[in-house]
Amino acid sequence: MTSTHALSDLPRAALRGVLGVAIVGLIWEALVWALNVPSHTMPRPSQMASAVAATPDAYLSGFLRTLVETLIGFAAGAIVGIGNGVLFSKFTRLRQMVFPLFVVSQTIPVIAFGALVVLWFGNTMLAKSVIAFYLTFFPVTVNTLVGLQAVNPKQEALLRSFGASRWQMLIRLQLPTALPQIFVALRLASTLSLVGAIVGEWFGDTTGLGVLLLQAMYNENMVGLWAAILASALLGTTFYGLMALIERTCVFWRNDL
Amino acid sequence: MLKRRLLLAIGCTLTCVGLGFSSIAAAQDMTKASLRLKWLPQAQFAGFYVAQAKGYYKDEGIDLTINPGGPNVLTENLVAAGTDTFGLSGGTDSVFAARDKGLPVISIGISHQLTPFVFVAKKDGPVKTLKDFEGKNVTTWFTGSNYVLFGMLADQGIDQKKVKIQPQQVSVTPFVDGDVDVVTATWYNELNTIKSRVPEDNLRLFVAEDYGITFPRDTLITSEKVAKENPELVKAFLRATLRGWKDAINDPKGAVDTVMAVAPTLERPHQEAMLTEAARLMEAGSAKDNGLFTIDMAAVQKAHDFLLKYEVVKKPVDLKAAFHPEFLEAIPLSDRKL
Amino acid sequence: MKSRSWQSADVYWGVAGAVLLVVLWEGAVRAFDLPAYILPGILEILVSMVDLQSTLMDATWMTVMEAVSGYVIGSACGILLAVILTLIPTLKRWCLPAAIAINSVPVVAYAPLVLLWFGMGAESKIVMVSLAVGFTVFLSALTGLDQANRKSIDLLRSFGANPLMIIWRLKLPAALPLIASAMRVSTTRSMIVAIVTEMLGAYGGLGWVIYQATLQIDFVQVWAAIFAASLVSLIFFGAVSMIERKVIFWR
Repeated sequence: MTSTHALSDLPRAALRGVLGVAIVGLIWEALVWALNVPSHTMPRPSQMASAVAATPDAYLSGFLRTLVETLIGFAAGAIVGIGNGVLFSKFTRLRQMVFPLFVVSQTIPVIAFGALVVLWFGNTMLAKSVIAFYLTFFPVTVNTLVGLQAVNPKQEALLRSFGASRWQMLIRLQLPTALPQIFVALRLASTLSLVGAIVGEWFGDTTGLGVLLLQAMYNENMVGLWAAILASALLGTTFYGLMALIERTCVFWRNDL
Repeated sequence: MLKRRLLLAIGCTLTCVGLGFSSIAAAQDMTKASLRLKWLPQAQFAGFYVAQAKGYYKDEGIDLTINPGGPNVLTENLVAAGTDTFGLSGGTDSVFAARDKGLPVISIGISHQLTPFVFVAKKDGPVKTLKDFEGKNVTTWFTGSNYVLFGMLADQGIDQKKVKIQPQQVSVTPFVDGDVDVVTATWYNELNTIKSRVPEDNLRLFVAEDYGITFPRDTLITSEKVAKENPELVKAFLRATLRGWKDAINDPKGAVDTVMAVAPTLERPHQEAMLTEAARLMEAGSAKDNGLFTIDMAAVQKAHDFLLKYEVVKKPVDLKAAFHPEFLEAIPLSDRKL
Repeated sequence: MKSRSWQSADVYWGVAGAVLLVVLWEGAVRAFDLPAYILPGILEILVSMVDLQSTLMDATWMTVMEAVSGYVIGSACGILLAVILTLIPTLKRWCLPAAIAINSVPVVAYAPLVLLWFGMGAESKIVMVSLAVGFTVFLSALTGLDQANRKSIDLLRSFGANPLMIIWRLKLPAALPLIASAMRVSTTRSMIVAIVTEMLGAYGGLGWVIYQATLQIDFVQVWAAIFAASLVSLIFFGAVSMIERKVIFWR
């Protein structure tokens, strides 16, 4: 019932999104025009559109490149993050030893190590995905762990009394219970993996939305900067929306519990 | 046990021989090499892209990859570690700093013979002379240009503490809006941005050379290892680079086309202006007589002594070990001059 | 009693993990004779931290002030916005996609705009941190507020509770674990965003130190500044986790 509702909701939500964007765009255009704002403070959407139209290949190839890096980093981060969460919930000692180090790892601004990232991972697409992974796995680990720890001990005892193995407990009870929490992290991770891919592209790359952003930023090309920001927003929103959709179809039983 | 060890030894030998053969085979057709730029693709580096697009590196037997730079991607670091074969590094100052910190990099050529920085004020503003900097808001990058500023102030006997010197951000907007009285620009980049927003005849420029300071920048570097083991590669790289730059300077429109093919979102007029200014800095000074990329040891010495005085360089750098003009000098002067 | 011994075990094993890492790191540096531009030795970094302590202390203090101010503002705004949007579902349907779109652009992309609008001082860093933290907390809080048991809501409503009471009594408590975990994750992010913004333009702070040291090719100093940042982030993370444990205990 809920899942079909989610699916039929999709076109309507998409339509609402497009409509919203169009309205915001029109108001933006009108305001900038009416208030005579100089384009280096706030360019008009039509200027951005023509900037994209002037070099569509650069934006398209940048978009696709960043998309692939994001997806690889996200997938790796999600798998490792959930795996870590499960391991940490099973082996307390491991959690006590490694978790603080994970926290430490998250406090390091990768951007400070531009040269080291190239040095260690080269100029490949892998290097970008590694950064996307690096930003992604931690929130997934935290939420998986929190979700697993929230499992009702009475239910666990009940299942165990029926002779459920550890694996069955995990698949049948613990992971499903943790799923809402995990999905929250995955949604956050979808955004963070994009951030990672974009920042990764700042370390000496030639294609990608990050390259476009950086180039526009330092050339004070405000129209180009906004065009790149909007392209990233499109990628991020689509990815996030897809994750939210998957979440709704997967966690539909949540309210029935 | 013994047998296994023997097998292992044979295996190793075979692998080594195989590797040897394959590297010889590679050397016969193409040598792989990379050039790390100091920043993203733009007309400042046009000559390298032209040389690559026209196959000049291939002609010399080099399969060259041009890697762009980025924020905190330190060229000196990557060349020292061997990740990149060649690099276009910050400037003479970064070569000093790298040698000071024990990085095994050497300079094989200098691109910009003059100080690339210029200090800009508005003619209708309060700053008429360098003396007027006192008590005014001056922004500069703390990445080398600040020392040029200190030197210029010292030349005029001005106490730098009396000047409100602040770090400069990416944008020149604070200067355009009048929040800042003097802004730092490079001749080839920010000055063009400023000109597009403030009428050119309302700009007053303070040029380092007028105050006896020359700060050569954009140095070509390689590692001591490459220079020692493969001097021919270094010469071949320089030959192809010189050809590319000569073409770029003689045909700036075509060169900007080549750069725009690499980075299509750049703005063409800005890039053309950039190339004009970059070429001017490259052809100036000692390059007039000695050709592009010449290492003017007198200018290098002067920059070195200057930075030593300001304790940017903690102890004197052995300039003979750091700057190697011999690779360039092996190329006939006629090939180096325009 | 039991919870205290559990905490001290956490500390012991955490320290053990850290010691293991230090030994591996220092061992690798010595065994492979790595130069400082690839990886400096950990002892060298610690010595440099002592040498540079006054510089690092000033810089850390500045960055922490920016990060914490932005964190508090961002968290408060995020939760408040989530509550408001939960109360007004129509608004939520319209605002959520916009919020997601803004959030999906890396905050660093806004940095040039924020620096332009708010200047090079602490304000621009606080704005950037609030943005980064605010959206993370907002999205988690919004999901959490949705998680309350439907039957309990209906029950409360049948007793004549108004929407505000339902939020206060039912939805906010249900959302608390999610909000708390978002706030925990945000501690380290707030420090990073402050540092990254400082690297793009500032008068001081750890990001500024890192930027300067990189240009002077002083890798040991870069690492020293990053160690300082990590240490402070850890304390921040620990403090928020402790508060979280207290709050959940009260529940």
